[in-house]
Amino acid sequence: MCVGVPALITSVSGDVLPMASIDLAGRQEECCLAYLPEATVGDHVLVQNGFAVQLLDPEAAAASLAAFIELGVLAPPVP
Amino acid sequence: MTHRLMLDEIVDAAGARVIVERGDDGRTRTARFDLAGLPRVDPLLVGRPVAGVPSLVERLCGICPAAHHLAGVRALEGLAGLAPLPATATAVRRLLHHGSAVETHATRMLVTDRDDAALLRLFGRAALAAAGSPGHFPVTAVPGGVASAVTTQARDGLAAGLDEALAAAGRIARAALALDGPVEAFDGADAALVDAAGRPDLLGELLRVVGADGTVIEAGGPATRWDQLVAEAVPGDPAPRPYLLALGPQRGRYRVGPVAQLRIGPLTTPVAAALQEQWLAGGGGARAARAVMAVHSVEAIGVLLGQGALVRGPAARPVAGFSRNPVGVGWVDGPRGLLVHRYAADGDGTVTAATILTPTAQNEPWLAELLAAAAGAGDQASSTSGMEDAIREADPCLPCSSAPAGGMGLQVETVPAPTRRSP
Repeated sequence: MCVGVPALITSVSGDVLPMASIDLAGRQEECCLAYLPEATVGDHVLVQNGFAVQLLDPEAAAASLAAFIELGVLAPPVP
Repeated sequence: MTHRLMLDEIVDAAGARVIVERGDDGRTRTARFDLAGLPRVDPLLVGRPVAGVPSLVERLCGICPAAHHLAGVRALEGLAGLAPLPATATAVRRLLHHGSAVETHATRMLVTDRDDAALLRLFGRAALAAAGSPGHFPVTAVPGGVASAVTTQARDGLAAGLDEALAAAGRIARAALALDGPVEAFDGADAALVDAAGRPDLLGELLRVVGADGTVIEAGGPATRWDQLVAEAVPGDPAPRPYLLALGPQRGRYRVGPVAQLRIGPLTTPVAAALQEQWLAGGGGARAARAVMAVHSVEAIGVLLGQGALVRGPAARPVAGFSRNPVGVGWVDGPRGLLVHRYAADGDGTVTAATILTPTAQNEPWLAELLAAAAGAGDQASSTSGMEDAIREADPCLPCSSAPAGGMGLQVETVPAPTRRSP
């Protein structure tokens, strides 16, 4: 099945075409915020093709990450 | 804090890999799409309390959690032997499902029809919120029904945007139909959920299967007959090659999704039904099919908004437990097609076996045929372009499906075909 790991936005840059640095399961990547210009640092988003397409509220992001951890797909958080 | 990734491929799935087998003569023997980016979580569910499985699974899905939510709850109801549901529960679930279909289709259309697709996406989200699921992960359905009816305020708010949404969906569909060209024929069957009259019903309780020549293979089988309808040739594999038991593993290929939904029977809503006729008379491609089905879902939401049961009546039936039947099967016809959850549980409500059969897995044999046809035609550049078209047509649930032309990151690996033995 398709799986979507919530990515944490760590920084935002650009005005015309906003871009974000994201932490995706421990990997540092970038995505475009053209479809979610309201997203900001600290938000969790789902990313497709380099575009953030879904903004998750903190509870939903936590629940999703907890599901991945519960199934052993992701390791528990490293403090 | 951060999370360390243990399954690299699931977040590195931006590309697409195709394996082409060629014979000594250079001709394509087979081609297949690598589904390693879509791991099967089924074995991870065994031993867990079955009541929690739907919410666990839907939280993994980044694209269509509503479909998993509804299929999972329906599977629990199969275990509990719960049927029928209160009218309010059916209506609210339908609102959630059609809202999810609109939102998912609209997201795919953002690249080509930005303004109308953005409007449609907002309408889809408003429908999800009205159905009780304002966040990404739905909380609408509970075993036996739904958490609550729709409020009259939410209903009226959604109704206010209906005409504009239908107009936007119509514009997108007419543009898609104008571009719809001939597509590669598929000699397998089409499978979709239907109502009692054999018309497409995305939240239907009967599965209809029709062969490429129009032969009705299954007029309308209920979910309880799933194990007699479909089997996996490679059980548990990301590409399990499911087949119709009535036709066997060699001839039993089938496809699901908007193309199958439009070929299975006439739509029940008037605007979409007229567009469906154009689609059937024209190219029959998947992009236009998705657009027509988006129109249908907007119209279906309009029908639901006129039903009193949406806003009043009992929301759920009581549930005693999930051990009345040893196996529960729940299904929905989602934006990409049929999604099936099958749970087996013991008397304590613990999962002993689980199968989640996605539209992508069911369409993989169709995609393999499309890829083989593309790989066998023309030079490298045109065959790569053809393979991109094939992937968009069969629409696997991966980011590559919605990538712009030339942007799919397609990797083609050519390997020698196994030598055939002489008789």
